Amino acid sequence: MQQRPPAEPLLAIEAVSCRFGGLLALDAVSLQVQEGEIFGLIGPNGAGKTTLFNVISGLTPPSGGRVLWRGTPMSRPSPERVNRLGIARTFQNLRLFDSLPVIENVLVGLHHAARQPLAGALLASPAFRRRQAVLRSQAIELLALVDLAELADQTAASLSYGDRRRLEIARALATAPALLLLDEPAAGMNPVEKDDLCALIDRIRAHFALTVLIIEHHVPLMMRLCDRLAVLNFGERIALGTPEQVRHDPAVIEAYLGGQP
Amino acid sequence: MIDPTLLVQMVLGALLGLSVYLPLSGGQLSLATPGFYAIGGYMAALLSTGWPALGGAAPLYPLPSLLLELGLAGALAAAVALAIGGPVLKLRGIYLAIATISLVEILRVLNLNLPFTGGAVGIFAIPQPFSDPAGYLGAALLLLLLVGLLCQRLEGMRFGRAQAAIRDDELAASCMGIDTARVKLTAFVISAVIAALTGVLSAHFLNTWNARQGSFDASITTLAFVVFGGSRSWLGPIAGGLALTAVPELLRPIGDLRLIVYGLVIVVGPVFFPQGLITPELLKGLARWWPWRQREAAP
Amino acid sequence: MDTLLQILFNGLSVGAVYALFALGYTLVFSVLGVINFAQGAVFTLGAYFTYLLIGGAVGANGLLAGLALPFALPFWLALPLAGLAAALVSLLVEAVAFRPLRRRRAEPLLYLITSLGAGVILVNLIQLLMGAEGYSLPADSLGALPVALNLGGAQVRTVQLVLLGVSALVLIGLTLWLEGSRGGKALQAVSEDATTARLLGIDSDGMILLSFAVSGFLAGISGGLVGLSISITGPYFGIGFGLKALGVLVLGGLGSVPGAVLAGLIIGLAEALVPSELSGYKDAVAFAFLFAVLLLRPQGLLGRPQVTKV
Repeated sequence: MQQRPPAEPLLAIEAVSCRFGGLLALDAVSLQVQEGEIFGLIGPNGAGKTTLFNVISGLTPPSGGRVLWRGTPMSRPSPERVNRLGIARTFQNLRLFDSLPVIENVLVGLHHAARQPLAGALLASPAFRRRQAVLRSQAIELLALVDLAELADQTAASLSYGDRRRLEIARALATAPALLLLDEPAAGMNPVEKDDLCALIDRIRAHFALTVLIIEHHVPLMMRLCDRLAVLNFGERIALGTPEQVRHDPAVIEAYLGGQP
Repeated sequence: MIDPTLLVQMVLGALLGLSVYLPLSGGQLSLATPGFYAIGGYMAALLSTGWPALGGAAPLYPLPSLLLELGLAGALAAAVALAIGGPVLKLRGIYLAIATISLVEILRVLNLNLPFTGGAVGIFAIPQPFSDPAGYLGAALLLLLLVGLLCQRLEGMRFGRAQAAIRDDELAASCMGIDTARVKLTAFVISAVIAALTGVLSAHFLNTWNARQGSFDASITTLAFVVFGGSRSWLGPIAGGLALTAVPELLRPIGDLRLIVYGLVIVVGPVFFPQGLITPELLKGLARWWPWRQREAAP
Repeated sequence: MDTLLQILFNGLSVGAVYALFALGYTLVFSVLGVINFAQGAVFTLGAYFTYLLIGGAVGANGLLAGLALPFALPFWLALPLAGLAAALVSLLVEAVAFRPLRRRRAEPLLYLITSLGAGVILVNLIQLLMGAEGYSLPADSLGALPVALNLGGAQVRTVQLVLLGVSALVLIGLTLWLEGSRGGKALQAVSEDATTARLLGIDSDGMILLSFAVSGFLAGISGGLVGLSISITGPYFGIGFGLKALGVLVLGGLGSVPGAVLAGLIIGLAEALVPSELSGYKDAVAFAFLFAVLLLRPQGLLGRPQVTKV
């Protein structure tokens, strides 16, 4: 499947390396993500998966290589510029705006949709108020999508773990991305919640015509969810292909699956 | 009956509180306010005493001249804030606080030594635009009203939301597409302008201006206005500024003990009111009695 | 006309005191992660204690006007005693301005305010008791030592040598204590990682008290030395000095002992090199330096960069 991608890849990682002091966190990693697919990144702890996310999202400058978005190299990437290109992310360790209400977290994601003439905003003109109302209903819609609409007015800090993970997804979706980076979205979830999450990811992909790049430890979930997978180990990409190909790759079995077939 | 002079001081204190509050509500502990306050005061003092065309010799200093001073002082403060804000606001937490204190100290030493700022004595006989404290009170209240309304509106706009997001988690905010550098710089510049405008009024009101007006103690005192009043709403610094400016003056009858008691108030206040006097819960409680605010929240 | 050697000595002796004073801040900062703004007032107290202990009398303006201690100690004994008294005051500051907030797990911002409040109380207590006037330690405080020594052809004030010598001695003592003793090692452990240290059975409350006591002692000694060298200009004289020491601390890198020493010496020398016709600007040197360094190297000269984990 997809041996010769007909179109330009949405995101291309070209020989990206990342060095922290003596540690080579990423060693000339290359991969391409096609529009519309769910692409998984797996690998043991410390394999460099989150570092790769940080490079893509503009948080960590790579020590070598480059990242191309729709065929164009990203020039001087900063997190806000990357987000404006259409890449949104969640965080492994959850970085919500804890003191703000749930709905405000999503409204922060709608920051760019909220641009309005300054004078109208300062004077609270009727047009400004109408636009605010529209933004709020958009935020509620996004919350409904992740089943959090009833909790809209609680503070983010008061949510349960699984709810917080889903709120992060809703907040990222609010920035209207073409590519969504999910960093261990199922961490800490029970099997039922994990199933729901899979369904949610499928749902939002269809709803927003999204491409998804996902890091997750839970291999069965990834096998089921992803169109293609890349496997990282000690900063190197050791395998790439469909779940079926990856499952039978000797290097993966050796390095990651611990010899089990 | 409270002395109108004290009321003017209190309103000026509230304005300085708002100036510290604006960057702080975006999580930026900038203590540069007294520096910009000094810039505003010197601008007013130098122009009104050194440029006869403004009408400094008239029995009452003309109001258009005062407005001109306000405009120039605001513009100068904004220019300085824009110039230094970029690099300074890359610093975080206590480093930002200390960099801005350094700035205040550098300005203070310059003001003490530059050939045209009058040395330690400063500049005196600054002309009076108002014949009595009530005039100043009106002008200061008008400024407070405008600045307060501005802060209230900013909080309801996307700028305010971005500020709150940066306060909670700057990195996550930038990943949501917020240009954090720009938001922080905007808050810093507005804060500088508020401080400079307050300095202009203050210089005329005090009649004299010197380097002591913008010093390190003032940095922390103005921060105390915000912390004491509450840093979660624009009403907090106003309450804190009014209260903490009044305390030392109201304590005058106890003489030498007054600053000791003032110190005690500052030590004990945060223990009993860790969120300040005006807390979000208090505002929620009040909102129930205030239908206008309700409509604002859910249009 | 000062020779270069004299300038060098001036700079180094003042710089050594800056370093000493800055280390007091750094101890509390490394354990609690907050700046103690009362430190300047404790420094002032150290100077006043030294003055009183060597037999100085209170001036005419305070509540204690005309009072003097019934004994007069030599400077070398008065200074450490003043340091101990300052350490006690520092513990008091901890109890009043820090502990209540710590119990309530208040946000760090509040400590800036309460510690400044404690400083305001101390400064105004001094003013109430001893008046606003300045005091200077008598010229014969150092006993039989000559006022100046001839070193390699240059006249060097003995006071400066004393400043340098005492500072070096205290610095060496502090380093030995931090590296060699149980208490010092425990203090370092708490400053590296308070949670782990607690799990290892180190009493972190005790360490906090210890850090306040030692930092008060350092501030008191610094105050006494500066009082000896340039006289006490009034109750507020420690505030400006404390602010400068804070600058030195940040310049060297918060939490770094060698950084604080290096930065203290650099600032001392830089101030000494300011030509006399520009001496009014001397007080800005440290801050201009600090401002420039912060913009180029936010973690200070020898500090470790802060890393945000995503």
